[in-house]
Amino acid sequence: MSGAGAMALIGARRHAGRLGFLGLVLAYAVLVAVALATLAVDGDLSLGRNPLANLAKTAGEFARPSFLDVWFGDPQREYRSEDGTLLRVEDRRAVEAGFLRQLGAAAWTTFVIGTLGSLLGAVLALPLGVATARNLGASRFFSLPAKAILDATRSIHTLVFGLVLVGIVGLGPTAGILAIALHSMGTYGKLYAEAIETLDMSAVEAVRAVGAGPAQVFFNGVWPAVLPQFVSAHLYIWEFNIRDSTVLGLIGAGGLGLLITEATALFQWGRLATILLVVVALVSAFDAVSRRIRKALL
Amino acid sequence: MSAAAKVSPGGTAARLEGVVCEVAGKAAIDIEALRIAQGERIALVGPNGAGKSTLLRLLSGFARPGRGEAVVLGRRLPLAGRELRALRGEIGQVLQGLHLVQRLSALDNVLIGALGRLAGWRTLARCHRAQDIAEAEAALRAVGLLAKADCRVDRLSGGERQKVAVARMLMQRPRLILADEPTAALDPRAAAEVCALLAGAAGGATLVSVVHNPSLLPLLAERVVGLRQGRIAFDLPLAQADDQRLLGLYRRDEVGPADGLAHAPARPRRIAAEMP
Repeated sequence: MSGAGAMALIGARRHAGRLGFLGLVLAYAVLVAVALATLAVDGDLSLGRNPLANLAKTAGEFARPSFLDVWFGDPQREYRSEDGTLLRVEDRRAVEAGFLRQLGAAAWTTFVIGTLGSLLGAVLALPLGVATARNLGASRFFSLPAKAILDATRSIHTLVFGLVLVGIVGLGPTAGILAIALHSMGTYGKLYAEAIETLDMSAVEAVRAVGAGPAQVFFNGVWPAVLPQFVSAHLYIWEFNIRDSTVLGLIGAGGLGLLITEATALFQWGRLATILLVVVALVSAFDAVSRRIRKALL
Repeated sequence: MSAAAKVSPGGTAARLEGVVCEVAGKAAIDIEALRIAQGERIALVGPNGAGKSTLLRLLSGFARPGRGEAVVLGRRLPLAGRELRALRGEIGQVLQGLHLVQRLSALDNVLIGALGRLAGWRTLARCHRAQDIAEAEAALRAVGLLAKADCRVDRLSGGERQKVAVARMLMQRPRLILADEPTAALDPRAAAEVCALLAGAAGGATLVSVVHNPSLLPLLAERVVGLRQGRIAFDLPLAQADDQRLLGLYRRDEVGPADGLAHAPARPRRIAAEMP
């Protein structure tokens, strides 16, 4: 090959990566354009008839979360019919205090569903994750079905699992727990396998080299090295599941989701604001604790 | 050292005859005859890719002989399952670089050495019996690291880690010790310390080590086997393995096209720099 030809080849090779990325970006831009065009053709790109006024109204009600009524509410709010007859008198303070108690119990139910579901998922995923980690060399007889189970459960949404499970085990927290366990099992298994695959194999081989059996190798060489990553993954998915279980109430699994359904159905945005504040507080508090635990472990 | 097992004097630790071992489809070692007597101390020398590590992996049952007869500690290779684990239990290994379990303490790493002969739930839960812990502490004391027994090994220096590896090997009470560049990343002082510990640990056990630094040879061996492209180039008593012979192994003009050319020139320079 001539010198100039070789230079051109080297130049092409050097730019090949960049050109490839440019191609990817172009393909992505085309995909987005087609997606927008699909909606535009059907006329589905509208924001409704009166978005700004609606936004102002909703935001106004959101800005006054219902829990404030416990202290500032009207103790004797009168409800009258159109001709002025008094229908009933309501103590707003007592009503909202009652709602807060209900909210507390629901938040606990949500936390319980997320917690037990995560634990069940974490335990179920353990053998599957170990079987799919490529560097541990489990036989394909185990690893292929395990990978199939993990991929399938990960791709089916918690809500879908929940709808199916409500039909099987009935309404209530059990359906929520099982739904969360089944879906997060897929995520757990993948994270476990990845933690095991980034393992320092020379240390594992050194344990094997003293004549240790498979179980001894696992518990002395693999387990201590991956445990912190497993715990970290567990805390992360646990937090995710607490958030997820707030939605499960929508399908009758109980907890905060039930209250969210009620509040949205009755357009009580003030109450929805209170519920969302509780969700945010719950998740942030959990995140603060889990971050500290993760830091201490690594 | 008490940890070394009883030895039948004059016995054979390992015997290879016409052994060919392939790695990635290429003959990594091709040894016509090699006999290692029980209690002997041998150093393997040679350039990268000469097959030194493959030979050690063959002896410890990690690489399978493709052809020929290989007998190690009275067991004919290749082995599998329980037999293989029994053989490995009798072979202590000290390797280059990271091969300790990073998150465990020095003491826990030393206790791993006993896994070959201990069994049961205790070894799975790392709740060892007091007598085993005492033995591990004795091994750490022998390498001068008892004070750091509860320190996680990823907090130790390179030299200290290699000493923990030696202690783990002591805990194993091996009949055959394989050391693959045990001083690779260590400074000269730590290297000499680790070599002295290894030589002392050997006691009556057989010691086979891969050594790049000629100044460490007298510490570790009384017999030197030079490897080149998987074959034995020379097999001499320490006194006759002079610098001429050693440097001859690394000479580039005799390197065939199959050998890794990229790193071949780097070695002689390093060796020359380390010449006393």
